[in-house]
Amino acid sequence: MAIEKPYGILARFQDPGTLLKAAESIRDAGYKNFDCHSPFPIHGMDQAMGLKRSPLGWIVGATAFCGGSAALGLQWWTHAIEYPIVISGKPFFSFQAFVLVTFAMAVLGGAVAATFGMLFLNRLPRYHNHLFFSKQFETTSDDCFFISIDANDKNFKDHQSKEFLESIGGYDVELIVES
Amino acid sequence: MSSSTEHIEEPLIKGNPSFGKITSVISRISEKKAPRMWYVAISITSSLAALMFVSIGYLVWEGVGIWGLNNPVGWGWAIINFVFWVGIGHAGTLISAILFLLRQKWRTSINRFAEAMTLFAVMCALVFPGIHVGRIWIAYYMFPLPNQMDMWPNFRSPLLWDVFAVGTYFTVSLMFWYVGLIPDLATLRDRATTKLRKFVLGILAVGWHGGNRQWKHYELAYLILAGISTPLVLSVHSVVSTDFAVSIVPGWHTTIFPPYFVAGAIFSGFAMVMTLSIIVRKLFALEDYITLRHLERINKIMLLTGMMVGYAYSIEFFIAWYSGNIYEAFTFINRATGPYAWGYWIMITCNVVVPQMFWFKKLRNSIPVMFVISILINVGMWFERFVIVVSSLANDFLPAAWDYYSPTFWDISTFVGSFGLFLTLFLLFIRFAPIIAMSEVKGVLPEADPHHHAQDHDHKEPNDGH
Amino acid sequence: MKLDASTYRLSEAGRPGQIGLILGLLGLIAGGAGYWVDSEQFFFSYLTAFFYWFTFAIGGLFFVLLHHLVAATWSVVIRRLAESVMATVPFMALLFIPILFGVHDLYHWSHAEAVADDVLLQGKAPYLNFGFFALRAALYFGIWTLLSYLLRKISFKQDKGEVQDFPHKTAFISAPGMIAFALTLTFASFDWLMTLDPHWYSTIFGVYIFSGCVVSIFAFMILTFRFLGKNKILTETITIEHYHDMGKMLFAFMVFWAYMAFSQYFIIWYGNVPEETIWFIHRWEGSWKTISLLLVFGNFGIPFFILITRVAKRAGLMMVIMPIWLLIMHWIDIFWIVTPTLHKHGYHISWMDPALTIGIGGIFFYLVWSRFIARPIIPVGDPKLKASINSLSH
Repeated sequence: MAIEKPYGILARFQDPGTLLKAAESIRDAGYKNFDCHSPFPIHGMDQAMGLKRSPLGWIVGATAFCGGSAALGLQWWTHAIEYPIVISGKPFFSFQAFVLVTFAMAVLGGAVAATFGMLFLNRLPRYHNHLFFSKQFETTSDDCFFISIDANDKNFKDHQSKEFLESIGGYDVELIVES
Repeated sequence: MSSSTEHIEEPLIKGNPSFGKITSVISRISEKKAPRMWYVAISITSSLAALMFVSIGYLVWEGVGIWGLNNPVGWGWAIINFVFWVGIGHAGTLISAILFLLRQKWRTSINRFAEAMTLFAVMCALVFPGIHVGRIWIAYYMFPLPNQMDMWPNFRSPLLWDVFAVGTYFTVSLMFWYVGLIPDLATLRDRATTKLRKFVLGILAVGWHGGNRQWKHYELAYLILAGISTPLVLSVHSVVSTDFAVSIVPGWHTTIFPPYFVAGAIFSGFAMVMTLSIIVRKLFALEDYITLRHLERINKIMLLTGMMVGYAYSIEFFIAWYSGNIYEAFTFINRATGPYAWGYWIMITCNVVVPQMFWFKKLRNSIPVMFVISILINVGMWFERFVIVVSSLANDFLPAAWDYYSPTFWDISTFVGSFGLFLTLFLLFIRFAPIIAMSEVKGVLPEADPHHHAQDHDHKEPNDGH
Repeated sequence: MKLDASTYRLSEAGRPGQIGLILGLLGLIAGGAGYWVDSEQFFFSYLTAFFYWFTFAIGGLFFVLLHHLVAATWSVVIRRLAESVMATVPFMALLFIPILFGVHDLYHWSHAEAVADDVLLQGKAPYLNFGFFALRAALYFGIWTLLSYLLRKISFKQDKGEVQDFPHKTAFISAPGMIAFALTLTFASFDWLMTLDPHWYSTIFGVYIFSGCVVSIFAFMILTFRFLGKNKILTETITIEHYHDMGKMLFAFMVFWAYMAFSQYFIIWYGNVPEETIWFIHRWEGSWKTISLLLVFGNFGIPFFILITRVAKRAGLMMVIMPIWLLIMHWIDIFWIVTPTLHKHGYHISWMDPALTIGIGGIFFYLVWSRFIARPIIPVGDPKLKASINSLSH
């Protein structure tokens, strides 16, 4: 046992089914700051962990709207205000012809927001994470399933949490310390 | 006749691999030494790419006069190649986005490299309008940059819409591809043995730890990217079609062009996916991952989109007659019987006649047959653009202004070279990145379903039966 | 209304059909009287009403063809309703007959004197003449009736467990069926709507009409299942996930409609060739402008922002309002295509328009309903039924 305060605790689970069930137990035990790690997303896990739906959709919608408006505004300004010039007999503000660029910029705005919004909500990118101190955790991106409880959680107690994780089917329980 | 035995739930991945097996089979491709064939292949393709760069260098030095363009035909191979490559680029996003929204799980085996293929095809496509502008050093005029001349791009020009549409398409496809790669890069990072590999992959994987709190945002981001890529992919080739359709050149000005171009793009893109999948699965022994069942589905999509293209050909022909417009009618008769009739009949044969072989289950399941057909389809699709671009321009309203167009050496060398660029990038990709989306393939295995073991865990949640 | 839990058949459910039949007969009698008031107006109103309901029937056929072609799972549970809708195709053929009598009132190309001094119409005469027009209509209805008959027959056989290799057999019908469907619907929309202005042409027109057909069938199915749900029928079977899925299809095809409409408008607007722009100029004249703008915002702009949200597709009320709204817009779309030929300088809704729309609609609903309650209301013999009921939306 390390002397310094651990970052958290990690336990391994057999398969997606047990992971899901364990998540429900941890949620019901009142833990908030925990996470379930798996090589692929598991259906129903959000519910099991008691997580709210991601707000990403609204971020994307707002950004896409801004992107489209900016593009339409730019086209209007350059063609109707800044340098009006008759081209192929069309009106200065020929919105029909401006639809396509407006659409493209709305999509671009939305996609940028989706990508970077996702990273932002996940507090990424980062190079290191205290979970990476654990050697066995490397297998979570391969074929293993883990639950980690953060030391910040108010229910967190080294031994109690360890026993609790073992009682709900966790094994290879490990306190995460700097290595 | 598209038969399916879905209700028996034939497994998507053969050989019943475990999660770990998938990781090791796919990861090892990029971890072990490349096979000798790879070095042989990349030296050939990079030589071809060099040929393209030489051709471009000469073009910049000398000007577009080195091409076969003449007075009525001011758009030649460059625009044909542009449309050809953009079209090929459509399959990747279609597979990742539309098939994802339609919950076609079989896409997981092919989406990764189809997306990569999209990126490389769009890169090749962007080369051609870029070098076609004549004075490449002022290509930045295409962007709305404030300048002391008070000049702005003409937003009423379809060519400018292309800049925005294709530029957006490339950027969005890149982000979509990268987002898909993150969990797999994390897998590679965790398997890395050398310090350098660990460091580079550690940066590329952006600190992914596979926690459900990450997956939650990640899955929604993926869904949203799929959702907005779907109209985007349809819009891109629609915009490309407006390069032609908003003019009043006979044979170009027709309202069906946007969806017709999109169908053609999907058609050619899937053909390219097919060609490459057959090579990749053979080269890396991935027959269990890219199964005959996957290939058969691609064949069905090719049959379907081939029919759509055939539908557009017929409706155009009918309306050309029905319109009573003599120029329209002439253009279509001229395509079939005039100086470029050979191109027209290559197009009809490859795009409409040949895919009909996929009606037969036996042919749909024969690797050599589909390999040859997939190549023929891309030949046909190149000729479709050739017929549209050249025949309409060479013989339009005034017979006195007609001329015959033929390419020069430099036209051909640039086009052949673009295949070199495409294949070089593709070879680099299959060497260094996970060519199959591991996390997604794992996710469609039956064991990935938390209720798979329900009988031994008596897990209760009736609403969630999946 | 009651559902037998073992046979999945409705009993004591005749009433909605009877109401439909009564409304239909009243509407047809009232509207039919219009023939003696103003025969030209009568035929234009009749064409609008007929074509409107025809798009439902043909949309049902398309849904079933597509369902079999892609071997879909989630939509198994709603398939039987679409099959009942497509069963109205042969009756649509009967309802088409009055249009044959109205050819002279509806179609300028049928006037011999007009053709005599019009070079373009002379060129089109081999296609645009009464005999060939009627023959083509017979051919279209023949093909649709055959397809709908075959697909219904095999589906009922499946109920009794008498079909081996169902996916293969249905695909065998629907693959060539889809090709025939695409061509016949295209030419039917050319014949019946595009030739109202015999000089105008647009290659995308068939696909444009098709997009409306698919919107109408999904809207109709959502509303019908909501109606059943209100009567406590199938509430456990057609879940929120199915509404979400149907809502997505409704949204997708509404956007597809906008894509087709914009492509057609935009290419014609930009090219600015008089023989093509005239069609849109007519629809921008006087008060028609209002209708054109209503379509832009009502059939795309506003519903787009509502239906794009997940909330709307899963909300009870929105999934009633939006389908109704889109069905009204779809009617306006057909009205906007047909009627400017008659009322050139501004829109005019005659009393015959609602009367005949309700008339044909009532009969249509009666036919759909009576076919629907005559059989199990879900395909009980389909092995994918269970998976379909449990299917989960994104």
